[in-house]
Amino acid sequence: MKRGWRALAIAVVAAVLVAALTPYLWVFLTSFKTRIDALSGTPVWLFAPTFEHYPQVFLDKGYLPLVWNSVFIAVSTTLLSLGVGTPAAYVLARHDFAGREDLFFFFLTTRMAPPISVVVPMFLLFTALGITDTPLAVILAHSTFNLSLVVWVMRGFFADIPREIDEAAMMDGNTRAGTFLRVLVPLAAPGLAATAILCFILSWNEFLYAFVLAAFESRTLTVGIPGLITPHGTLWGQVAAVAVVATLPIILFTFLVQRHLVRGLTFGAVKG
Amino acid sequence: MSARRILGGVLDRGVVPLLLTPSLVLLLLILVGPFFYMVGASFTDLSFSIPGRDGNFVGFDNYRRLVRDDPVFWSSFLLTLRFVVWAVAVEFVLGFALALLLYHHVRRRRFLLTGLLVPMMLAPVAVGLIWKLLLQGDFGMLTYYLRAVGVIDLRTALLSSPDLVLATIVAIDVWQWTPFVTLVMLAGLLSLPREPFEAAVMDGARPYQVFRDVTLPLLRPIVALVLLLRGIDAFKEFDKVFILTGGGPGSATELLSIYAYRVNFKNWDLGYGAVCAFMVYLVVLILCSVFYKAAFWGQAQRKRAGGRAA
Repeated sequence: MKRGWRALAIAVVAAVLVAALTPYLWVFLTSFKTRIDALSGTPVWLFAPTFEHYPQVFLDKGYLPLVWNSVFIAVSTTLLSLGVGTPAAYVLARHDFAGREDLFFFFLTTRMAPPISVVVPMFLLFTALGITDTPLAVILAHSTFNLSLVVWVMRGFFADIPREIDEAAMMDGNTRAGTFLRVLVPLAAPGLAATAILCFILSWNEFLYAFVLAAFESRTLTVGIPGLITPHGTLWGQVAAVAVVATLPIILFTFLVQRHLVRGLTFGAVKG
Repeated sequence: MSARRILGGVLDRGVVPLLLTPSLVLLLLILVGPFFYMVGASFTDLSFSIPGRDGNFVGFDNYRRLVRDDPVFWSSFLLTLRFVVWAVAVEFVLGFALALLLYHHVRRRRFLLTGLLVPMMLAPVAVGLIWKLLLQGDFGMLTYYLRAVGVIDLRTALLSSPDLVLATIVAIDVWQWTPFVTLVMLAGLLSLPREPFEAAVMDGARPYQVFRDVTLPLLRPIVALVLLLRGIDAFKEFDKVFILTGGGPGSATELLSIYAYRVNFKNWDLGYGAVCAFMVYLVVLILCSVFYKAAFWGQAQRKRAGGRAA
């Protein structure tokens, strides 16, 4: 009985892994295939690789600046959200005041806000301000969800630090601000790092805000993807090359924050 | 106490609102402002494509149009509900089953969990692209194998078949998000206190009874959480479907966000588009407040149950 379950479990685990990874593997392989192999009617698993697609799309088609745009926007929104959100998380974790829970709920609704609803007025507003198609527009837009992510997740990390530590620091003559900056932030540093990486991933992966607010000069890598798909004669090797570059760094980052992922993705409600 | 100390104390207390303010200002600027702008625009005839419609006040005309004269909105609304219910239900059943299997019968889970993370962390646009490649009618890898085993016939391409396309995007969403359910449910299972299980086994409960009478009730807050989080996200679905089908063939996959996108940024009918966007917002806000209750109700419960720190 027990043995049967184990065999079943191993079979299921193997099947799940194959199902989860094969689609990605296929795109990875396609990025090294010649046009003939890529468009073959019967799937080609073994082939002589070509490395032409990467330079073609990133240099000849000018997709390299898109990588830079993605990095710049993701790093900026991460810094902005952490800088503004961490102090707020500390206050929500440590100080009681009327309406605290309502405020906390307010931060949650901002994370949940549907991009399609926010982006319409944001587009009109940013057009009036003349900042559409600049990185600033996308950085601000991405901070809508990243700021509340920081507030929610960091509040949990601060709450995990025993209050006695604050009290001891205050006894030693630290001010509240000093306690926060010199004692609590260093203690919460692992959480801070994990949150930063999550912010980076969310911004890097985001599509709709970036697509509407910066479709030309400042477009990100995700926005560049649809432009490569045409009804006739899509160059799948190049599309796959862009997809690989747009996803590989994120997969590596994910492994770094694996331990905190459940917590980050459930807004601290479930601690992994 | 010297005056300086007291003054210092007052200043120090003042730091608290100072730490909170920047985040509130930022949110007011980029979220609350646009929100009210949207509500305001929904009472106007603002359009970038029709001359003379430059934001005149029209009262509730747009809302009347939504309720009376726009069957497309409502069919899109129903389509979205079908998408959400199917996707979340399948993800939950598969994900929970996998979590239980891992919890009870697999020791070294690390490797599998790492592999499972891949689909859910990819950019949704990239997921759409991957599946578009796999499901191409003439050379798609998956199309080839599905035809080879006879699941679909030689003339069918999943993404351009009006009957199968909704099921296909549900399946792709399931591929991407089942791992999330597994991950969270497994974390939930691992966080449960041991005592109720030991007591149940001592009382001679069978495994099925333990599951029904102990595991499920204890997990209920986390189940609610997963369903709501996935429900909210699925309701907002845009990226994958935009790449995969653009809402087609016809309007077979025109989910609410895709429809709202079309009204606003293809027809440039911004006054009416604001109403559509507002409706999506409203549904999400309702789901969100339920989520909040569920999350906190869960935390209070766990505190009462004295469960191990999760």
